[in-house]
Amino acid sequence: MSNVIHLSWEYPPWTVGDLSRRLKALLPALNSLVPISLVVRADRDGTTQMDGMKVFKVGTSVRTSPNFIAYSQALNIELARGGSDAIHGDPGIALVHAHDWISSIAGTYLASYFRMPLIISVYSTEAMRARPPLNVLNRGIYDLEHYCFQKAEALIVETEGMKSHLAEQYKPPGRVEVCSSPEQIHGVYRRWLG
Amino acid sequence: MRVLMLSWEYPPHLVGGLGRHVENLSRHLAAQGEEVTVMTFTDGSSPPKETVEGVNMIRVNPYTMRYPDFTTWVQGLNMLMVEGASQVPGFDIIHAHDWLSAYAGITLKHMARKPLLATIHATEMGRRGTLHNDTERHIHEMEWWLGFEAWRIICCSNYMSGEIASNLGCPPGKIEVIPNGFDPRLFNTGLGGPVKGEDPGTDEGTKTALFVGRLVHEKGPHLLIKAASILKERGLKFNIVGEGAMKPYLEDMSRKGGLREHVRFLGHVSDLELSELYRRSYACVFPSLYEPFGIVALEAMSAGVPVVVSKTGGLDEIVEDGVNGLEFTPGSAESLAQAIQRLLDEPALYPKLVENGKASLGKYSWPLVAERTRSIYRSVMDEYERGGWKPSPLRGRP
Repeated sequence: MSNVIHLSWEYPPWTVGDLSRRLKALLPALNSLVPISLVVRADRDGTTQMDGMKVFKVGTSVRTSPNFIAYSQALNIELARGGSDAIHGDPGIALVHAHDWISSIAGTYLASYFRMPLIISVYSTEAMRARPPLNVLNRGIYDLEHYCFQKAEALIVETEGMKSHLAEQYKPPGRVEVCSSPEQIHGVYRRWLG
Repeated sequence: MRVLMLSWEYPPHLVGGLGRHVENLSRHLAAQGEEVTVMTFTDGSSPPKETVEGVNMIRVNPYTMRYPDFTTWVQGLNMLMVEGASQVPGFDIIHAHDWLSAYAGITLKHMARKPLLATIHATEMGRRGTLHNDTERHIHEMEWWLGFEAWRIICCSNYMSGEIASNLGCPPGKIEVIPNGFDPRLFNTGLGGPVKGEDPGTDEGTKTALFVGRLVHEKGPHLLIKAASILKERGLKFNIVGEGAMKPYLEDMSRKGGLREHVRFLGHVSDLELSELYRRSYACVFPSLYEPFGIVALEAMSAGVPVVVSKTGGLDEIVEDGVNGLEFTPGSAESLAQAIQRLLDEPALYPKLVENGKASLGKYSWPLVAERTRSIYRSVMDEYERGGWKPSPLRGRP
């Protein structure tokens, strides 16, 4: 049991913003240290090999949502669906790694149901993105972030500043690890993967 | 069989009829030997875990987070239901009710690799007539997704079966019709039968027609006010039980029509008060424009009161015109007034409708509904067992 499942709403060529570029730089290198299965939102369902990783593509069943939280909640069902296929098909998967809150809801589902540790990489937070006064959507996203971060065994960030921000704004019960390389992230995994 | 029932409402937290439906179904399934766990809502005032009449309850509280709207509130509730499912020792089949628990149902189906079954009580397209905005379109798409993921879809009438097939594109062979159950004890309060004056259904010299339902357009309460205006000279009065967004409009309509002495708005009433109102009514009128089933018609029949209903939806399947009730053209106040006039003008009709109405109730018994639901469970489990879609032996929970 030494494999890791990653959850993301973007990975090239399914690109929304900067997260896909970061993951393109990180995941192939990390995959050379620990086998990775990636679940990603795509144009339709399917499995494929990309950058040495097994990729579970999930299409979106719901095309219309009244706001971004509603969209992300529906999206996370798709990610949990793809993640379930990955986990049932690979007895080696022992750890769930989600990227930002947008895929962390599915991370909490999979970690809770399959009783695996959950790690969340946090690149930015609603507390950073939103300018006061916060509207109800900002507050809803903040609460979802808070909920997911509380469920994680560890949060991974890239800077000490982000670590301080999380400690101050979200008070996560798990450890917050500053990792700037795939090797450091693998080091965090070893705590659970042996 | 271990059934995981998902519902956004369940006593003591009730919003509409869905919660009572799930309660009765769960109770009768448990009485027939099934192991039922209901995942549902609490606002913190009811216990997170308890067993009531053989049904195991797990309640989750969505008010631990903030939401911008109702859709995301429902999603938050479902998110906590998925998490709460880890407290369930095991389940063989998942039974979700409406889009309101579809999110959790679909997620748990894929994680557990256990069959999902859905009861669709009503559809957004049916309720609204069309889809006006992104919230309604989202709900409609969730209903489609639930229908797509479900092994079978249960609905309460042939009308709803057609609506689900056409609006959600479900193959008709996947849809099963089981009429809703009705518990006649609900209105058996020991108060006795209908109050009789010199004429049947006359209370202290006045004949009163009763409407029970939400005061929303789809229930057609505005037609009742128009009919009251047409029937003003006949001395018939109308009691309106229920609340809703149309109430100020209806009150204004009634005032402008000079009907203040003829139409009374009673708001919400207790079951005991409702029972007494049924008992004192000459007739019950349900002018719905959209009605998946129409359990109020069964309540009235049980109370021994003739029903006058619009010829639509489930009401049309419960009522046979001139046999166990009277029907009128949906949306027509004139047709409604004519049906009431017929009841007033044909005294011999009254006892016949009462007698046949009571005789109609037998096929809506809850034990029968539970037995038919179990039969669908068994059929789904049989297909599931023969198929190859199963949890990994290393991943499956008991």
